[in-house]
Amino acid sequence: MDQQALVSLTLIILTFALYIGISIYHRAKATSDFYVASRGVPAFWNGMAIGGDWMSAASFIGMAGTVMLLGYDGLAYIMGWTGGYLLLTFLLAPQLRKYGRFTVPEFIGDRFDSNFARLIGAIATIIISFTYLIGQLSGSGVVIGRLLSIPSWVGVLIGVAIIAVYATLGGMKGVTWTQVAQYLILITAYVIPIVFMSLQITGNPLPWLTYGNVVEELGAIDRELGLSEYFAPFDEGSRAQFLALLFTLMIGTAALPHVIVRFYTVATMKAARWSGAWALFFIGILYLSAPVYAAFSRFVIMNDVVGQPLDDLPAWTEPWLNTGLLEVTASGEQGVLMWEDLVIHADIVVMATPEIANLGTFVIGMIAAGAMAAALSTAGGLLITVSSSFAHDIYYRLVNPNATDSTRLRAGRIAIFAATIVAGLLALDPPGVITQIVAWAFAIAGGTFFPVLFLGVWWTRINAKGAIAGMLGGLTTTLTYIFLAMNGFVLFGIGDTGAGVFGVTVNVILVIVVSLMTEQPSQRLKDEAINLRYPEQMTYEEGQVWLDDTSGK
Amino acid sequence: MKKVKKEVADKYFKTRVTMIAIFLFIGFLVSFGVVFFAEQINESGVYIMGMPAHYYMGAQGAVVTFIVLLFLNAVINDRVDKKFGIDESRNEQISKTGTDH
Repeated sequence: MDQQALVSLTLIILTFALYIGISIYHRAKATSDFYVASRGVPAFWNGMAIGGDWMSAASFIGMAGTVMLLGYDGLAYIMGWTGGYLLLTFLLAPQLRKYGRFTVPEFIGDRFDSNFARLIGAIATIIISFTYLIGQLSGSGVVIGRLLSIPSWVGVLIGVAIIAVYATLGGMKGVTWTQVAQYLILITAYVIPIVFMSLQITGNPLPWLTYGNVVEELGAIDRELGLSEYFAPFDEGSRAQFLALLFTLMIGTAALPHVIVRFYTVATMKAARWSGAWALFFIGILYLSAPVYAAFSRFVIMNDVVGQPLDDLPAWTEPWLNTGLLEVTASGEQGVLMWEDLVIHADIVVMATPEIANLGTFVIGMIAAGAMAAALSTAGGLLITVSSSFAHDIYYRLVNPNATDSTRLRAGRIAIFAATIVAGLLALDPPGVITQIVAWAFAIAGGTFFPVLFLGVWWTRINAKGAIAGMLGGLTTTLTYIFLAMNGFVLFGIGDTGAGVFGVTVNVILVIVVSLMTEQPSQRLKDEAINLRYPEQMTYEEGQVWLDDTSGK
Repeated sequence: MKKVKKEVADKYFKTRVTMIAIFLFIGFLVSFGVVFFAEQINESGVYIMGMPAHYYMGAQGAVVTFIVLLFLNAVINDRVDKKFGIDESRNEQISKTGTDH
């Protein structure tokens, strides 16, 4: 093992010890601890935990590279994955919090008073979260394997073992505080390299303010080489595809169960609003930095790699050429490397930046620990979601409603442990379809859940039949369109990743038409929906709003 | 427990909905709106912070606007609550004693 691997490994082990320590300190003692951290997480810290929960290995490692390769078209991911928090915080989170349940399927089942709707919700949640989880675990294995030069299956096993311990022990309470720690680690690791790179390229330590000139210069370089400009819109696709992808990502972000459930861990509607604001603030730091990575690394590649003689490439390129993440396809004109001859893998950008900027072994080790933190924090949130769907929605609410608190806690622990092991085994050699489903998770989550949650919160006339028709119709439409698009049939130039547009449209139409054509929901359910319009202190009962004016002091 | 007049309760709800509609509309303009006209903006040669305006809005402007909107929402909503006599510490007590399944 060389010095670099040793430093990386030490940093990763230190962070693992920290996560386990946190979960021992915050271990779950009751069911409410296990699923919603006793609803006592302060908004600021919940925002940070949402940041850790949300930003996956793919965000950490892959997003900057995607922006670098796609130019303007890659920005759909930046706007889509942040804009979803507007929809979530404005339209869903506070009301879902006031409704006060443990899971998303539980809201669906109770709000429409239908166990069938609950079951559909639970199954869809498990499918979405479980595939996403496998993606995280295999992603973390690849990263840790590459950075430590060990086989990636060893990396997967290490990740699975750690997470099985701390998620089983701590439940949501433990996961919340490990996510906070993981957020801090991942964001530090992400920002440090570009600060140094900014000092080297622009002489200013705040890259967010100065990288505009680099973007402009990239456009000039592209013009000179006869390429289309870096910032030229819709170079890689159509405007319709960009808009559809943006819509799908936003809607999907607002409807992913593992994100929504984090809003259940705070005390009130007010805290839910503040959580959303803090969450996007913390997430924004990474999403504002990704285009900076993209611009700087493209700038370095354009200046130091493109146009160089093939036998005189910079030293940092060598390990990446060896691993195949960077490829040179043709011999090049007169022995000089052309941009067209370079095949760059998106993952290289974040991982190679510390080497490009010559930042030394410690920073490279931090990137490894940060990538692990990103993968584990998302995996932790997903595990809670998967296990609560099994142990709470299916076992407790449908199979054995008389279970005691300690039985339910044990069921939750067994479910989370089993889910980790199964997901870990699948992640060792993920079926090719998994990576695809992860890419489609946003279309599937948005197409299945968003309209039903949105109308369930805001529309009193919605009934169980409408909700069931909407979820099934939305899911079917999304999957069908993805299938058709993969086989070359596209509408309005929208590809498979933009399928959420169709799923959501069909879902909304079905909910409205079927609800209006069938009987009114009971007065109690309508009252419950109206009650969500007001803060906790105001309750709606029998056509009248009451204010609980007892002093809170 | 005290009855809240229907007009007061409706006004609270209407204030919230108006705020949300305005914020979402702004959010829509800076993201979807800018993307829709990206080609025209690119040709117009407008620059923000050293880069073409459409690129700036996608890479930074939209995200910063979203963050500002969310904090505005949280702050203004707190003021609205205060105006309607809502006491957050009582909210916390109520949601704690509420039924947990």
